[in-house]
Amino acid sequence: MKVKLWGTRGSIPAPGPETIRYGGNTSCVGVTLSDGSLLALDAGSGIRSLGLALPEEPTRLHILLTHLHLDHIQGLVFFAPAFRPQTEIVIWGPASPEASLRDRIARYISAPLSPVEVRELPCDVSFRHCPEAEWEIGPARIRAASVAHRGPTLGYRIDDGDSSLTYIPDHEPGLGADLDRLEEDWISGFELARETSLLIHDGQYADAEYPEHLGWGHSALSHALSFARRTGAERTVLFHHDPLHSDDFLDRHGNEAKEEWARLGGAPEAIEIGAERCEYELPARAPRTAARA
Amino acid sequence: MSQRPLELILARNLMSALSTPAFLVDEGGLLVFYNEAAGMLLGRRFEELGAVGPEEWGSLFGPFDESGDPIPYDELPLVTAVRAGRPAHAELTIRSTDGSQHAVEVSAFPILTAHGSRGAIAVFWPSLMARNGAGPA
Repeated sequence: MKVKLWGTRGSIPAPGPETIRYGGNTSCVGVTLSDGSLLALDAGSGIRSLGLALPEEPTRLHILLTHLHLDHIQGLVFFAPAFRPQTEIVIWGPASPEASLRDRIARYISAPLSPVEVRELPCDVSFRHCPEAEWEIGPARIRAASVAHRGPTLGYRIDDGDSSLTYIPDHEPGLGADLDRLEEDWISGFELARETSLLIHDGQYADAEYPEHLGWGHSALSHALSFARRTGAERTVLFHHDPLHSDDFLDRHGNEAKEEWARLGGAPEAIEIGAERCEYELPARAPRTAARA
Repeated sequence: MSQRPLELILARNLMSALSTPAFLVDEGGLLVFYNEAAGMLLGRRFEELGAVGPEEWGSLFGPFDESGDPIPYDELPLVTAVRAGRPAHAELTIRSTDGSQHAVEVSAFPILTAHGSRGAIAVFWPSLMARNGAGPA
């Protein structure tokens, strides 16, 4: 399984000289499964670049949306494969009692916000609510579960061979909870991340910033690290960077994360700040690492 | 142990911050949490008791009606909420571990999601009668 970060930012694209190293595009992660099947995790502005990198030949791909906040869907109408009739796209996302996934996405892909309507997209597009039970895409087993954020929001786990990827970009598991003491079955998202090979997780706020953002649906650094430690993730990528956080800020944020992780007994290289275009290869037969805290 | 549904996790987090006694059961009727205020009322913290099944928690606190007769398990508001998926309210008396009795009003409501019922919450208040000095407190 190959994983590539196409957008690591949260809330709103933040291009500029101060965000050039970690990137300014909003959430999108490309995943190539061991049989070549293609997945996109979220469709923030980063999916535009992912689309440009895909071949123009007939393609079937799956887009797994965690939720429908704008920073996770705003790239859909700029995703080049969606404008090719030879492309089949299956969009998965959370169910809501209010309206179908298609109808909720159509609120964005419709006038006056968009020049095209969903029905006008040339590709073969379908919309599916994620089931509660695990399902398969190619060789991978996919699991989705609701996680603590604002509004219906999912996290995903993708198991392909012995490797697994867990993606929980918007997550506030520490809201009203002591993650270091709580029983694991009472921690939001725990089973998705249990002993995962690669955890891509919300790390939006420094601890000093968190009190001002309590209940906004995102993690303080210490919460993200506690979650990674408790779940036994082998490697953790902090993600969904605040648009106000410059590269220099994120350098410091990353150093703090590594120091804290080392203090907890883990290997500093097992924690990093997600950077746009960064790639990870998860072998089908994954060696166990000693990087956990 | 399997992951609790998010709705129960969020409910527990909220209940932990309340000073009102509150109880949480899962979709099978298992009492999976009550908060500190409920623990004070019952005379026993949840951490001491742990999760208990539907028959057991009914008998532990011996809900009685106004005549002092035990209320059948099936008629408890929390059971109505979790089984029938509708809210229920009742006045009843519960017994603490020290033997003292408390007249309370109980409001229970189901936790319903796009994937069906997740369980139910019950919140206890001192009964109006007790507050007016007309019953056990």
